[in-house]
Amino acid sequence: MSSSPTKKTFVVTRFDPDQDEHPRTDTYEIPVREDWKVLDALNYIKDEVDPTLSHRWSCRMAVCGSCGMQVNGEPKLTCKTALAEYGDTVVVAPLANFPVVRDLVVEMEAFMEKFKAVKPWMIHAKERAAEEGTYLQSPAELQAFKQFSMCINCMLCYAACPVVANEPSFLGPAAVALGHRYNQDSRDDGDAERNEVFREDGGVFACSYANECSEVCPKNVDPAAAVQQAKLLNVLDWAKSFVVPRGGKS
Amino acid sequence: MSTARARIDSMRPSRPGPTRTAPPAMPDQFWTQGRYRGYVAFGACGFFLLTVGGLLLRAVWVLGNGDPAAWQALLESWANPIYVVFHAVSLLALVWFGLRFFRVFPKTQPPKIGPFPRPPDAFFAVALNGAFLAATALGVALLWGVLA
Ligand code: SF4
Ligand code: FES
Repeated sequence: MSSSPTKKTFVVTRFDPDQDEHPRTDTYEIPVREDWKVLDALNYIKDEVDPTLSHRWSCRMAVCGSCGMQVNGEPKLTCKTALAEYGDTVVVAPLANFPVVRDLVVEMEAFMEKFKAVKPWMIHAKERAAEEGTYLQSPAELQAFKQFSMCINCMLCYAACPVVANEPSFLGPAAVALGHRYNQDSRDDGDAERNEVFREDGGVFACSYANECSEVCPKNVDPAAAVQQAKLLNVLDWAKSFVVPRGGKS
Repeated sequence: MSTARARIDSMRPSRPGPTRTAPPAMPDQFWTQGRYRGYVAFGACGFFLLTVGGLLLRAVWVLGNGDPAAWQALLESWANPIYVVFHAVSLLALVWFGLRFFRVFPKTQPPKIGPFPRPPDAFFAVALNGAFLAATALGVALLWGVLA
């Protein structure tokens, strides 16, 4: 569908690490179409107005998770967010709570480190011999974690979380949701290892349940629920360690 | 655009990257606007929880000492308008705190509770709010002297 262009003003954060002491903003007035997403406008600016603008994107269909930015103060996937939702002026900034590498591009390294910390891979108590066949899982077992496996690593939840802003050691919503996803997987035996990470300083108990992560998550992963469930399971695990020898671990 | 600042080391990698970075900003509208308001108010209710808890402990202490005059003096001190207003505000704050907590509670339950699947959210809503109303009715009846 196409429609006649109207004009909108974009106030975009700019930061050149070689030249700028602090981030600043540039303003662009451009023609936009009604059916555009915010990302279309940024691409227009880059292609037609200012090729020095840096921003990340790839799939343009809300699956790669690379186009997250603050749009009028809210973390959004810019390829999924319709421009029509906004008025004449749209403010685009890099994701909050992340160091800024350049313009709208943020430093992802710490996010990846937090992901790695929760051991997001299958851990088996005993490796299965090939002749034993594949690991089977019932639909009900899949349902126990499926929602938490839908994360696209877009980092919007980190940008929305006030605990991430104030507690740098906090694992953060998506990393906990991912660890919890493996803990809930019937094929995995790594929950004791992950729960140790969850109980560390900056683990699940650092969360004060702002619930902002779930509000902004574009894939309905509900990471806040994962964090609270992980808290409960860790308390039970801890309590069990007093009544069952070695916490029930063999 | 927000000017609020996150901690400078928020989401900073353990080893510095190849380029200089600008420090992170806080989420916009922190902490007085938008959805953050409910979160901040929920946390602020901790003040009422702590203070009312302290007052109740004091009452139990005085009652435990078995001195009717001290108990009477405590009740009279609570008749002070400042206390009355404080208790009224505390009541509102703690009822709201409780209801928000109950709304949040079902999410905190894992998909399986022991061998059973998690009950539907409506079950938690009815059970928690029902228990809250029953406990409140019982407390009021006791204080009113309906139940000796
Ligand atoms: S949990 Fe949601 S908001 Fe967070 S990274 Fe995954 S998809 Fe993005
Ligand atoms: S470009 Fe892939 S999620 Fe937006």
